[in-house]
Formats: sequence, structure tokens, C-alpha cells
Amino acid sequence: MGASVDKTTETAFEPLLQFDMEMEDFLSDWHHCDHVSSYLARMISHNRTDPVRHSNFFSSALNELLEVSFRGGTTDGKIGLSIYRQGTTERVQLSFPCPPGQARFYREAVSKTRDSDAQARYLDAISNDLAPSRESVLLDLAVNYDARLRLDEDAAPAITLIVDLPLEGMVS
Amino acid sequence: MIAAGLPQRFKVDFDPNSQIFSLAGTIRPRSIDEIAESIHALREAINAVRGVLYIDVKRLIQINNTAFQAFIRVALDACRERSDLRLIVVTSSVVSWTTRMFRHLSTIEPQISVEVYDSMFYPGQDYFEDTSFIPILRAQTKLTWRHERTLLPRHGMRPGIAVADICCGIGDFAVLAQKEFQPSRIVALDHSKPSLAYARKVAAEFGVTGIEYTYGDASEMLLEDNQFDFVSCRHSLQVFNQPELLLKELYRIVKPGGRVYITNEKNSHCLGEPRAQSIQWTYNELARLLSSFEIDVEFGPKSRRYLADTGFDDILVESFMVTNLDGDPQDFADIIAGWEKMFADMAVRHGEAPEFIERFRQGFQDHIFAALHPKGYAGWPIWAASGRKPL
Ligand SMILES: C[S@@+](CC[C@H](N)C(=O)[O-])C[C@H]1O[C@@H](n2cnc3c(N)ncnc32)[C@H](O)[C@@H]1O
Repeated sequence: MGASVDKTTETAFEPLLQFDMEMEDFLSDWHHCDHVSSYLARMISHNRTDPVRHSNFFSSALNELLEVSFRGGTTDGKIGLSIYRQGTTERVQLSFPCPPGQARFYREAVSKTRDSDAQARYLDAISNDLAPSRESVLLDLAVNYDARLRLDEDAAPAITLIVDLPLEGMVS
Repeated sequence: MIAAGLPQRFKVDFDPNSQIFSLAGTIRPRSIDEIAESIHALREAINAVRGVLYIDVKRLIQINNTAFQAFIRVALDACRERSDLRLIVVTSSVVSWTTRMFRHLSTIEPQISVEVYDSMFYPGQDYFEDTSFIPILRAQTKLTWRHERTLLPRHGMRPGIAVADICCGIGDFAVLAQKEFQPSRIVALDHSKPSLAYARKVAAEFGVTGIEYTYGDASEMLLEDNQFDFVSCRHSLQVFNQPELLLKELYRIVKPGGRVYITNEKNSHCLGEPRAQSIQWTYNELARLLSSFEIDVEFGPKSRRYLADTGFDDILVESFMVTNLDGDPQDFADIIAGWEKMFADMAVRHGEAPEFIERFRQGFQDHIFAALHPKGYAGWPIWAASGRKPL
């Protein structure tokens, strides 16, 4: 898919909410991931066909993303989260500061989610690894949530993960 | 076992008799050390069984990748070590992502299979989830609302509160309650997909917005604890074979100080004049027939005991009679015509003799006759009860 296509779809995404927090505060408690994902999921799901189940599903995906930023982020700066909607898809845009050099790691991990062997890689990871790597978490989103992922590095050293989640069609 | 002392809100349980290991609640640990005890419990459960172990994740509300991978590691390793072992993961159709996540296990490991639990969990389910039930619900609520509208405030309904209607059917009650009482939030849950689809269609056609229709099993809901000021469950405790399970869930989701409102029938007390005897015979037989499907249409007067046993206080019970004089008698007749068809089908399925079916149908027709008779009277009694969750 070319960049021009991404741009046209971008304009059609309607903003739902924005949230930010000092990274230092965010990293002070692991449960922020759970609380923020549950709370925001409920807020954006209220006008979905099945709000309760959409919220449960969305929270599950969002929590994984927040956990990635919790495990990989640094304390200098803010974590920023924006959620948009277009039709049956929600777009999550998550920015957080990370150590220099990490962008490359995310770039590769994100590009693997788009490869044709994403499912095979995911299965391999869950059948052999003791704990999930950040790479397998992103693969999980692609395989189990039909997510499409992109990376934006414009604000280095912060990175922005852009994740499209077509959950509405999967819930109802 | 409850994961005491840990911040996670989850439960792990093993029942050696049924060989079921279950995971329930929200499991989002930072590291596997936090769930070490539960992982150990799964390993022990596997060691304790011969043949099959069921891994029940129907009530798993959330699990992160850290926990997921730790649990499946144990399962996969065990299969590699023991060729006699079979693992059956039971997921729920309500929690969409669990099936998507766990189904991979059967691809990776042939000794593991994944089953989705969503139908046949109570004996009368086929009948209540059939589209032919929709017009009956329509007709019933039209008549009961005339009574409930005025009695609801006594049971705690008031404007601006958070309401849930559990086992909402086609959602007419939710629509009427929203219009009359303007709650701040209203959730309506049922397990019948046809009824929910109909409810959403009606809401869209009439421009009704703000009702959160949700698919779910009322005995295992995704809704969080202490969320609602008023929870209703109408004509449904009586159709589900484990009403105490439903009540426990209603209790769980209502706020302390909030009220749970239930309505139920006592069908053997349906009555009519003329032709009282034939009518009486049929409704007595109906109660007997339905009890063989574990449906208790005599539940109404038991409401007080059930509410008390669940832990509610300040219990209020009243009854009202829906009659042919509550408006157009044809509306009453429509309800009975719907019952005749549905219950005669059930009698046939139950293997009743043709002579029985004929007499059984006749009682309903006589009830319709009484309802439409210019000097006739026909009634359907209902018990409305509520209790408060203690503060
Ligand atoms: C007799 S109807 C009443 C419907 C509605 N409350 C009304 O009064 O019109 C019973 C309803 O309970 C639902 N039901 C029964 N057991 C259920 C369960 N365990 N979970 C969700 N819904 C259930 C059925 O699908 C059906 O819609």
C-alpha cells in the first residue's frame, strides 16, 4: 500500500479522544496499563453496536500496546495516546520516548507484522518462548486482532506506533 | 484458590472430580513471578488427571500475553511429555478474543482442542432464542408496562440513574424505561442473537439511541461489579434452570444500596371466565410440562425467598394481574395465541399424546374466548419483587 493511500484514509479518521501523561508518572505503576486501557476502552465503545464486548476486546489490544510502552519507554517526556475512528475501525496512535537506537528495533518488529509469514512467526513464538517479546506482542495484534501497524519516527527519540484495529466487525 | 495478596483480580480453580481447571477474571501481570502459584496449580492439575483435562476460560475477562504465554507453556510442555494427555480448552463466544487467541493451540499441538461454549447451556434455550418468540415478547411487554410504569418507582427506579436490564429479550422494556425515566446509562443484555438483532433494528428505526445492547450469558457476565443503581431481570429467572446463579450475578453488578428488580409468573394461577375449568386445567398442565424442561413458571411467589437467600435486604414483593380489560382485549388474546403455539410445540416435543395436545390447546383457546367475550374476564398474574444490596 502506497503512502498516498494512507494519507487519504488519514483525513477520514475522526478523532475520539486524546490522553497524555508524564512518562515518569506512567512508569511509576504497572497497573496504569490496565486502568488506562479499561477506562479509555469503555469511553470509546459506548456507541458501538455491542459496547460491552467492544470495550472488552479493545481494552485487550490497547493494554498490550501500553505494556509495550511501559516495558520499552524511558522517563524523559510524555506518553501520548490518541484514538480515532473510521467506520468499523479504531486507530490508536501511541507515542512514547524510548532509548536511542530502539527505533530500529520497532521498525523491524512492525514490518514483520506485515509479512506474509506473520502468523507462522507468531505460532513459533508462542510455541517456544517462555515469555513474550515485544515483537511477538505486535504479531499477536496483527494475527489475533487483524491489526495493521505502522511506525512514525518523526518525533525521535520518541516513537509513534499507529495501529488500526477493525474490532467492530469482529465483535458483532 | 483466590490469588490473595496479588493486585490481579482473578481466580484459579481445579476440580479433580470433573477434571476442570478454570481461569477467571482479569490476569495482567507484569512478570510471570506474580502468577507463579497459578502456573504451578495448572501443572499440578495436569499431573493429577488421567486422559482429559478441561481448561475452562469461559469467565476469563482479560489475559495479557505474559500470562497467556506462561500458561500455554505449561500445557504444551505437558503434551510433549505425555502422549496420553488430551487438553480441551473451553472458551466463550461472548469474549471474542479468547477463541481467537486459544485456537492456535490446536494448530501447534494436536493433543489440544478448543471448544466454544455458547449454546445448550440451559434446557429451554432453543425455544427462547427462536425468532418465533419475538411477537410473544412484544405483546407481553405492551400489557405489563401499563402496570410496571407506575410500580417501578417503588422499587427504586428514578431518573438519572445507571440501569441494566438483564435477559432483556427484544429490549422493549429498556426502550420504555429509557423514555419514561431517562437513566444516565442503560445496558440491556441477552443471549438470544435474534432478539438482540431485532432490538437494535427497532431502536434504529425509531431513532432510539443510548441503549447499550450486549450479547452475553447472564450467569457469567462481562459487566463489572457494583456498576448499576437499578438492575432488572424480567420473566427470566423462571426460564433459566439455575436462577440462583443469575441472582448472584445481578447482586454482583448492582451497587451497594442499589436495587435488583425481578418479575416472574405463577402460570397455574392464570384464569378466565367463562370456561374457567378448561383454562385452569391447561395452565396446571403447562406448569407441569415446563418443569420437565426445568422451567419454573410457578416462580413468582418464591421471589421473596430467592432474594433473601442471595443476600438482599429491604425486600419488597407485590403482584399485579394483567387482564383483558387493560386496553384492547385483542392484545391479551395475542399473548395467549402465541403461548398456545409455543407450548403446544413443546408438548409435542415432550412426547405428549395427541388427545392431550388437543385438550391442552383447548384451554388456551378458551382463555382467548374469555378475553374476547363481551362479558368475559381473563387474567395473567405477575409477581414483581425487588431487594436492596446492603451498603
Ligand atoms: C421469557 S424471556 C423474557 C424477556 C424480557 N425480559 C421480557 O420480559 O420481554 C426470557 C429471556 O431470557 C433470556 N435468557 C435466559 N437465560 C439467559 C442467560 N443465561 N443469559 C442471557 N439471557 C438469557 C432469553 O434469551 C429470553 O430472551
